[in-house]
Amino acid sequence: ETHLKIHYILPREEQVLEAIDTRDGVFCAELLSFKHPHVANPRLQLSSPEDKCQQVLEPPYDEMVAAHLRCTYAVANHDFVEAALPVMFAVTLDLRVFANNAEQQLQKKGKGKVGDMLEKAAEQLMSCFRVCASDNRAGIDDSKKWGMLFLINQLFKIYFKINKLHLCKPLIRAIDSSNLKDDYSMAQRVTYKYYVGRKAMFDSNFKLAEEYLSFSFQHSHRSCQRNKRLILIYLLPVKMLLGHMPTTQLLKKYDLMQFTDVTKAVSEGNLLLLNEALAKHETFFIRCGIFLILEKLKIITYRNLFKKVYLLLKTHQLPLDAFLVALKMMQVEEVDIDEVQCILANLIYMGHIKGYISHQHQKLVVSKQNPFPPLSSVS
Amino acid sequence: VNDKAYGGSSAPEAPVHENPEWEKARQALASISKSQNSTKTSPTNRTTSQAGQYQTAVTDSSAMQQQQQQQQYYPWYPQNQQQYPGYAYPYYNYYPITTFVDVECLCYGVPGAYPPPTTPTGQPPAMPMMEEQSSSYSSEPQPPPPAVPQPPPQSPTSSDQPPPPPPPPIPPPPNAQYPPPPSQNPYNPNGALPYSPTDSNPMRGYNHGQPRPSYQGYQPPGYPPPPQQGPGQGPYGGAGRGDGNKKPNNANMNKGGQQLWNRMKQAPGAGGVKFNIQKRPYVMANQNFPPGEQPPGLATSTAATAATSAATTSTAGAAQAGPQDWPQAMKEYVQRCFAACETEEDKDRTEKVLKDILQSRLQDGSAFTIDWTREPLPDVKPRQSRWEAVPQRSQENASGRGGATRGRGGARLGNYRNVFSQRSPSSSSSRSSSRSPSPHSRHRDRSRHRRSDSGSQSDSSISSDLRPISRRQQRGGRGRGEERDRGRGGERGRGRGGKANRGRRNMDDPGSGIGKKRKGGNAGLDFHDPNREAKKQSRAARFHTKRTEPLVLNINAFDLPNGTQEGLSWEDCPIVGTCQDITKNYLRLTCAPDPSTVRPVPVLKKSLTAVKAHWKTNQDYQYACEQMKSIRQDLTVQGVRTDFTVEVYETHARIALEKGDHEEFNQCQTQLKALYKDCPSSNVGEFTAYRLLYYIFTKNSGDLTTELVYLTPELREDECVSHALALRAAWALGNFHRFFQLYKRAPRMAAYLIDKFVERERKLALGAIFKTFRPSVPVEYVQSSLAFPCLDTCLAFLTGLGVAFTPSDPSKIDCKASSACLTTS
Repeated sequence: ETHLKIHYILPREEQVLEAIDTRDGVFCAELLSFKHPHVANPRLQLSSPEDKCQQVLEPPYDEMVAAHLRCTYAVANHDFVEAALPVMFAVTLDLRVFANNAEQQLQKKGKGKVGDMLEKAAEQLMSCFRVCASDNRAGIDDSKKWGMLFLINQLFKIYFKINKLHLCKPLIRAIDSSNLKDDYSMAQRVTYKYYVGRKAMFDSNFKLAEEYLSFSFQHSHRSCQRNKRLILIYLLPVKMLLGHMPTTQLLKKYDLMQFTDVTKAVSEGNLLLLNEALAKHETFFIRCGIFLILEKLKIITYRNLFKKVYLLLKTHQLPLDAFLVALKMMQVEEVDIDEVQCILANLIYMGHIKGYISHQHQKLVVSKQNPFPPLSSVS
Repeated sequence: VNDKAYGGSSAPEAPVHENPEWEKARQALASISKSQNSTKTSPTNRTTSQAGQYQTAVTDSSAMQQQQQQQQYYPWYPQNQQQYPGYAYPYYNYYPITTFVDVECLCYGVPGAYPPPTTPTGQPPAMPMMEEQSSSYSSEPQPPPPAVPQPPPQSPTSSDQPPPPPPPPIPPPPNAQYPPPPSQNPYNPNGALPYSPTDSNPMRGYNHGQPRPSYQGYQPPGYPPPPQQGPGQGPYGGAGRGDGNKKPNNANMNKGGQQLWNRMKQAPGAGGVKFNIQKRPYVMANQNFPPGEQPPGLATSTAATAATSAATTSTAGAAQAGPQDWPQAMKEYVQRCFAACETEEDKDRTEKVLKDILQSRLQDGSAFTIDWTREPLPDVKPRQSRWEAVPQRSQENASGRGGATRGRGGARLGNYRNVFSQRSPSSSSSRSSSRSPSPHSRHRDRSRHRRSDSGSQSDSSISSDLRPISRRQQRGGRGRGEERDRGRGGERGRGRGGKANRGRRNMDDPGSGIGKKRKGGNAGLDFHDPNREAKKQSRAARFHTKRTEPLVLNINAFDLPNGTQEGLSWEDCPIVGTCQDITKNYLRLTCAPDPSTVRPVPVLKKSLTAVKAHWKTNQDYQYACEQMKSIRQDLTVQGVRTDFTVEVYETHARIALEKGDHEEFNQCQTQLKALYKDCPSSNVGEFTAYRLLYYIFTKNSGDLTTELVYLTPELREDECVSHALALRAAWALGNFHRFFQLYKRAPRMAAYLIDKFVERERKLALGAIFKTFRPSVPVEYVQSSLAFPCLDTCLAFLTGLGVAFTPSDPSKIDCKASSACLTTS
């Protein structure tokens, strides 16, 4: 029977394929439309058409067609919510992808405002989201609310792309207040936490960011190495800021060797090396959007450097000159005693050093107990 | 009268939207019903209008009337036109003249061919139409009171109306309401005056970020009001603006005048006399009615008139009541049928077919049981026509979204209209313009890109008219509002509110529409209520049926607007200005630019020099900003993107920066960013640096990162950029010492930008300092670290924060005591 099914499906998908190849968008849309008579064909009503679609079609079309076939199945079984959501997912996903492509094309042509297309797509997604979110029917099983998280994830993708992170806030609130938030599919939750974690990172809420990104990392499917790598790109800086340095092994496994020098420099308090490492991979870090975060590692590096000074001098009253020497050794440009005070002031202010500066005596007086508290207890 | 009412009603948008559709439907229905009644209605109509005509014009057309029906129209036509300009509304007043009607009826012996089963026959048979109309009118005035502060004008009319006898012209009072230039009134509040082009003050207002007022203010100048719009315009335009006022009149006018015209125009099937004058009426019809829709209905009536002549007056009377009581689904069905027509022939055919169908259905009562939504359209190329309708709809949609669909004028229009529609008079204005019989308007309509408000307006109105039908066809959901509206309206006897808002539509067929509504109200709500359910169902049904339509259309349609939109960019339709003035006040463009008010580049260069000189000597920012804006506008309009454009924007950005005008500065920055791609300037670094600094100011790390991505190594070498980057690094790490050192060394105008957040950073730094230093810190240290220009300013700043100084030595700050003051402040 399976054989039969495939037999019947294939021609259809080949049709789709052909339509795609020939860029016959109209025909393609028709094939994917529920207004086309093929929907009534029981042989197309599959509960899990994914595999077959993957065999024949390239992404993202396979997903589109699969969702479509799945939908024919669901409709045939009179399950409309189940029918509607996959379709909406596929369509909205495509919408975003298309908007993205359109955007790129426009940029190439130098036409249009940056992000215009994406914003329009976001508008559409938003209207879908409102529909889903406002489904207040009692029955949870077929509630449209099940569509919320997917849409939110799509919206996140757009908002992150166009740097409108502030728009994420209401979406996050919607999920936070939802009683379904732990019941969505793991894939959706992983995506969601990834974005919320990134947002928390940009908001300098590193603890929260660590929590979310860790969740994402731990729960992504093991076959999704690329996703895990993406998560790590943000998780690593956060972890480092919180004092957890990644092992070389991990970095190797996920091809993130750009971080090795950074890691080393931070833990050694080697400001010079850090600057070099950041400069060397600047493009990579900037493109990932983490350059500014990694920059904050400098503060940790200062702390580690000064801790070394403290350990060397073995006293609680540290002359500021000693720090100046250390900084000069690290080839910090144009550094003077005032800047030393400034840097120390910041460290003390943030809680990395327990102590105070006596301006009169030009000394740093540190606490006798635990003058450099562990990073994880600080931020 | 309704002026105010209108305005009031415009506020609640919802009803407005819904009404139009309903109105449409009614129009179509009305026309059909007329056709059904065949001669009866139309003659009556004519009669009424004629009556008016006669009275006012004192024409002796009675004799003419006696002749052929069609011919009768003919003579009138000119009269009508004359009337329009002068007395929009005497016409209306004369409306209800019984005698006349009677005569007509008799003369024509035109029978209401189709006795509608449900109709109560209580009405005077002789003038069924009259009845309806009069009632409707009377009803109209009633509603106004709530929203309408100035009922006087209308109420007289309305009250007068019901009693048919008084033929003497009652125009004066209402006319008062319609002062020829009335258009101004509604607008004026917004400041036609305050913003007169010559007054520089308005500009000031604008600059300070009150775009609204200024924008509105601009409109008067931008859109040379009605007068421009050809002969008929005067009164109409005025009326239009004053919408409410005009309404009664217009309604009548419409009724009489427009329908007449349309009929004349459409007469084809009827085989009646064709008129030389057709052109004009044609215009009217076109503008007023969506091509597919209205005309057919009217045509119907004509044709019907001509074709059928067998019914008796009494039956006609019965038929009269018919349309009101028709099931809503049927009305919609009829509407659909006509919307589906492509050509005149189609309409004629549809008309005939419909007549037969409806008549039989009504007679055997199946009209009330049949599911009209499923009824196939008459076999007049229905398929095609439906397809036709779709693109229209899509255009509409697009325009709604993007504000630009049809040509340039259209796009502009979209905005324009919106702006207007927020205020009461708006829609009416469009209505009026479209209504005006002037040939110009048609002309304009055709050549939309020309700067013509009237044209575009009418254009828009057309499209908006189209919308309801096609939309309804496509989408079930749309009908809801209409229904609600209707229900409510019926109860109140209504007439204004939503309906008034959509002015146009009312006008299109006010008589029948209102009449029907009125009827509903009188007859009791029961008419509506039962229908509501049915309607709901029908809507649902429609939804399903619609499904079968191919999706393809939607997709195709979507391409259309995009295409047009692209064509909208300034580059594609270049203008070269001819204005030689060196200075020019900035007016926000609300329509296509007029070359005679646009300065060409050579002149603009002089202007820039002049503005710069003026700025240097006078430091008058208001003036400079306005001048710069107008220069920018002229450049934009002419699609000039050269080094000179860059220079203009750079200059304005600098001036704005100096004066702390965020808005303008950012606008310039945005433009510059785009401009630099084409015309790299030596100042790229400078303005990139400003952008970086601005992101620091807004703490926008996302955009900051994006900006960093695009920094080329060369750019990083730039003095300004490298400074900004260093400043950013210091800022990110809270290294206030370095931050303020860089602040002191800020190149070019960077310091102006840093000034925006210097205080914020100082406070942050003080927080760290107070927490770190013990027991005290000298004020000098603070002063030098935080880059205060002198000790005094530093002290002033500190005392402003409530910092505590060491009692023994006032030159030192008691850190512990002071740390509290920052948290509180």
